[in-house]
Amino acid sequence: MPVDTLSTRLTGLRGLYRAGYRSVLVYRADLLFGIAGLVIQATLTVVVWRVLYDGHDEVAGVGASTAVAYAVLAACIQSILMPWQFSSLPLRVLRGQIGVDMMRPRSLISQNLAQAAGTMVGRLPVGAAGLLTGLALGGVKAPHTLPDLLAWVVSMVLGIANVMIINLLVSMIAFWTVEIGGIMILYRFGSAFLSGALIPLWFMPGWLQPIISWLPFQAQIYAPLSIWFGTRHGVDLLGTLALQLGWVLVLFVLLQLVWRRAVHKVVVFGG
Amino acid sequence: MPPIIEVSDLTKEFTRPDVRPGRFAGTRSLFTRARKVTTAVDGISFQIGEGELIGFLGPNGAGKSTTIKMLTGILVPTSGTVTVAGQVPWRDRRRNARSIGAVFGQRTQLWYDLPLRDSFEIIRDLYSMDPATYRTRLGEFTEILDLDEFIDTPVRSLSLGQRMRGDLVAAMLYAPPILYLDEPTVGLDVVAKGKIREFVAEINAGRRTTVILTTHDMDDVERLCRRVVIIDHGKILYEGDVEMLKAQYVTSRDIVVHCTDFDATTITSPFAQVVSADAFKATLRFDPERTAVPKVVHDLTSRYPITDLSVLEPDLEDVIRQLYTERTPNAR
Repeated sequence: MPVDTLSTRLTGLRGLYRAGYRSVLVYRADLLFGIAGLVIQATLTVVVWRVLYDGHDEVAGVGASTAVAYAVLAACIQSILMPWQFSSLPLRVLRGQIGVDMMRPRSLISQNLAQAAGTMVGRLPVGAAGLLTGLALGGVKAPHTLPDLLAWVVSMVLGIANVMIINLLVSMIAFWTVEIGGIMILYRFGSAFLSGALIPLWFMPGWLQPIISWLPFQAQIYAPLSIWFGTRHGVDLLGTLALQLGWVLVLFVLLQLVWRRAVHKVVVFGG
Repeated sequence: MPPIIEVSDLTKEFTRPDVRPGRFAGTRSLFTRARKVTTAVDGISFQIGEGELIGFLGPNGAGKSTTIKMLTGILVPTSGTVTVAGQVPWRDRRRNARSIGAVFGQRTQLWYDLPLRDSFEIIRDLYSMDPATYRTRLGEFTEILDLDEFIDTPVRSLSLGQRMRGDLVAAMLYAPPILYLDEPTVGLDVVAKGKIREFVAEINAGRRTTVILTTHDMDDVERLCRRVVIIDHGKILYEGDVEMLKAQYVTSRDIVVHCTDFDATTITSPFAQVVSADAFKATLRFDPERTAVPKVVHDLTSRYPITDLSVLEPDLEDVIRQLYTERTPNAR
């Protein structure tokens, strides 16, 4: 029997990671429509925000170019991180395939996370098309400094981990209720709004900002983008990264707990 | 044969909300905490030897799938013990995973959107197979099951027979010592069934894989299994040899005679009873314990100008039907 080292664990999941991006690339038409959709969205975003800013230098302390760039980048990141199909888990629960998944020599959580990582890689062309559109229209600007760029990379990785875990957590509701379409729509809209993907959190009303800052969603898109635009420095920057890391750890523990309840439900009640 | 699977006093109870019919049943069920306990598997015990190919039979809802789920580690028993290849399946599910393969005929373990080959590669990685072994084994299986023509087709476009062959390969790629087959031939045509049976016979005889076969197709059983375990209402009805089962339940044999030159309805015999007859054909029934087959045949052929004659083999299907209808569990 092979020894369970980190490297065998990772090669064990390689196939599922590939399955993730292949499952996206295999539906070529869907991917092309995704690209076309985001190109249109990015174009409209640039145009509309510029019109909104017409005659104003700053709104809520944010300049026109930053607001436009934020909107375009957020749309690109969102298109990669939150595809409509969050995870194949609910479908596999519904079809009863989950029993087979549980008979695998790798944990169900790692199987799903590997596949989710693959799905995001598969969606990269969509995000890239949106970014290129933004650049072509002069709506996107690079981070001010190299340290900002590096901090953004770290922050983005933490944001991705955050999204993957929450997506899987929400998908696991399928273990308790068969029809999760409604919950998914609520979650999708809620997370898009609260993560700052739709509207930068700078523009949120004062009473809402503390609530949002205490929720995990702002660590997904708003946190990395606020670093991209150089609005965080020193202690503020480190605090942002620490909070993101903290959320990832808390959510991961929560995921294990929910998974244990789900297993209990499957093994005791027969799914 | 040392036992590779040992099941002793295995019981599984399910608790479900007790919904009483009547007005507002749905609404009331939201508030009531009344529960109903059903026993799906009720204290069964059996052993399966290494390299055996055993039929696990029973009518719908008998507790077969629940038992298989406990053997594979998906379900935790309410009481009793299960040992599979020296391990308790549900206690260390991931370790158990390497000893077992499973095909559930009604479900697939393949990745729906992707070509069949991709599913095999995912399994190769999951079970840390080395590339050379993977290639050799896939090559062998491809040959036996004729996968060549559809291995690069997405699973969603496969026919049921093709998909089932893919599922079988997926379950056997990492060469588990034990294979569970839950209705692998359900809904398949004769040719596809034949292919599947051929493969199952090969991995059992050629690779010494222990196979537990659940099926409603008695042809599967007659062609593949020597021993069967039959359960109903969660209890074991019969455990033992297929031939013994037939001998125990089939107390009479049928003989069919054909004739062209005279009216078959006039046939009579001192040793057998006519059960049906028309102008060209008569069916007679006799007790093989009392009268030997040649004696009956000789009597008939010497007295009538018969053109054709056949002695019907006892039919397992009839035996099982009789067994299910009686539904009296053996006192064990």
